[in-house]
Amino acid sequence: MSGKPVKVLLAKKKIDVHGRASKLIARELRDAGMEVVYFRFGTVDEIVNAALQEDVDVIAVSIMTSGHLHLAENLVPALKAKGMNDVMVIFGGIIPDVDFEPLRKMGVHRAFPAGLPGSVVVDYINANVGKVGL
Amino acid sequence: MTASNQSKQFEAAVAAWHKGRERYASKLQAQSTLSGLPIKTVYTQDDVSQDSVDVMPGVYPFTRGLYPDGYVLTPWAQQMVFGYGTIDETRQKMEKMVAEGMEGYFGNNIFNVVYDIPCMYGIDADHPEAESNLGQCGVHMSTGDDYDELVRDWELEKSNFSMITGDNCLPALALLVAAAERRGKGPESLRGNSMNWYPRTAVQDIPSWEPRWGYALMVDLIKWATINAPAWNTTNIFMYGISEAGGTPVQELAYGLSWGKSVIDAGLAAGLDPDQFIGRLGFQIGCTVNLFEEVAKFRAHRRMWAKLCRDAGCKKPSSMHARVHCHTNGYVLTQQQLLNNNARITLQALAAALGGVQSIHTCSYDEATTIPTEESHRTALRTQQILMWESGVRNVADPLGGSYYVEKLTDDMEAAAWEIYNQLEAKGGYLRGLETGEIKRAIDGASYQMKQNINSGRQIVVGLNKYQSESLEQHEPFRVDMAIENKAKQRLAAYKARRDDKAVAASLENVARACEALKAGTGSLMPALIEAARAGATNGEMMVPMRAAFGWYVSE
Repeated sequence: MSGKPVKVLLAKKKIDVHGRASKLIARELRDAGMEVVYFRFGTVDEIVNAALQEDVDVIAVSIMTSGHLHLAENLVPALKAKGMNDVMVIFGGIIPDVDFEPLRKMGVHRAFPAGLPGSVVVDYINANVGKVGL
Repeated sequence: MTASNQSKQFEAAVAAWHKGRERYASKLQAQSTLSGLPIKTVYTQDDVSQDSVDVMPGVYPFTRGLYPDGYVLTPWAQQMVFGYGTIDETRQKMEKMVAEGMEGYFGNNIFNVVYDIPCMYGIDADHPEAESNLGQCGVHMSTGDDYDELVRDWELEKSNFSMITGDNCLPALALLVAAAERRGKGPESLRGNSMNWYPRTAVQDIPSWEPRWGYALMVDLIKWATINAPAWNTTNIFMYGISEAGGTPVQELAYGLSWGKSVIDAGLAAGLDPDQFIGRLGFQIGCTVNLFEEVAKFRAHRRMWAKLCRDAGCKKPSSMHARVHCHTNGYVLTQQQLLNNNARITLQALAAALGGVQSIHTCSYDEATTIPTEESHRTALRTQQILMWESGVRNVADPLGGSYYVEKLTDDMEAAAWEIYNQLEAKGGYLRGLETGEIKRAIDGASYQMKQNINSGRQIVVGLNKYQSESLEQHEPFRVDMAIENKAKQRLAAYKARRDDKAVAASLENVARACEALKAGTGSLMPALIEAARAGATNGEMMVPMRAAFGWYVSE
């Protein structure tokens, strides 16, 4: 990696509630030297536009109130349509593990269960950012 | 045995105790509660003040419980949260839960119905942003038809409707009042609960009203219900949200009571009589797995609230009752080794019952990963029913009262909570702390600290940072059929097609005027919302003028 910090857009879907986990992971990514754009709530278009404008390396989506499959189904094609083929997309939160594989097939690089140390996510990003594409 | 003999015997026992632990005492690690209060390895009569022990259940300050005989007269209410799909699916679930034996006090019905996120924000099924959220994490209820189906055939005076709304709290109550009227019942027949929990935005990361208008709306509902629906519980002081956001049990107490004080102050400022409205405020409190700290928390909470209510001018003992619904904390559940959560939930519910709460929601073991399945939801209900009927905890009021440890911990938690409370009050109180973000920062700091403790293994979570397993759970979650989306849209379209559009439009203009009157301090909003509900306005439609008047605010 060059000296430039990894830039992460941390988003939640447009109407979601709770913020504990997304604030924690934002802080843990920052602790690891990453630059985090804390986007809170967005529609697919809003997330894609923010990712473009901020020129992020990673889009991390925090899920609380389900809808993750629907979101991934729409988000990944929308990113491709804007030419963001090099961005890493990861999901985390209240997601049943039987959905991890369907998410992967939709183009989400990795889904993380809740509760893990942020270092697990940090290590994954550092090992794979720039090497994966949509 | 004389007192002096007794004392000599105790002194000798203490000396022998010291001797017994001489070899290893210096090696024992310091212990503390989740809130960081130090705990010793043994407690004795020397730790307990006579003041704390010279009390009875059902007597001020209610440390030992609200009622003289605890749960013996009637057990706690089994107040399970549920709601998904349209009202059709949720109505079936209501009937199923009644058949499963879910009961409130004295066998009454109790329905703790959670709305979906679009309803909470105030958008109807035909709004583009509702897509993929309809009926997902709660029921979608927006029309008069929906509310008619909610209340159909239930005996209103014996049915408790607790409505877990969001910003749509006032419109939801208006829609319920109109549905009761169509059954020939006035609002005085209504039993249940409005959340009326605007102050939760101090800790939850959600957009809502501007703070001053959030409080104005809260008081408007309280004023209306105090006069028109005196059996209705107007306000839920949502301490659960404080602990779920990361607050320690002591912070939950301190900020929760400060929140309650801010509601009392707002009501008194609006000219309400303390004995008329304070007794209709209630609490929803979390409960972690940390058994004794949680029992002490519930006991300290009752005592602290009783003092605040008396200071506010309450004269009737029942006005000083901290009536508590316990929602077992969801954040303690793990996605790893899901079934372990049943053990956690059992301990949480046990702590709540030993703590003397009035009502319990037990989480389902799979909520760490999904909306609960029918089976996991039933197991959660059965967990509290086993506690109720098999464990014997309901036989004796305040069974841990007089325990040296629990009494001392109750005192210590009260003292620690008053300290935080007094600091916040000195700086202007809860509303000010909401506006400045001070409360949220304190809670976020505690949340981060707890995460660090879990990451480092200082705080053990079985299956997560100790005794891990590599395999996935492969738990098949409850899925809400996406066909629900179309069904919700069709229900809405059918309802709108039958209405008198002119009357609806006029009623909504009236709502807009009432919003301005509320802002100017010259009028009330609830009557206009009830008029609009009678005319056929939907949840989302009533929210449009409200959003225009009261703003859109994301706290820091």
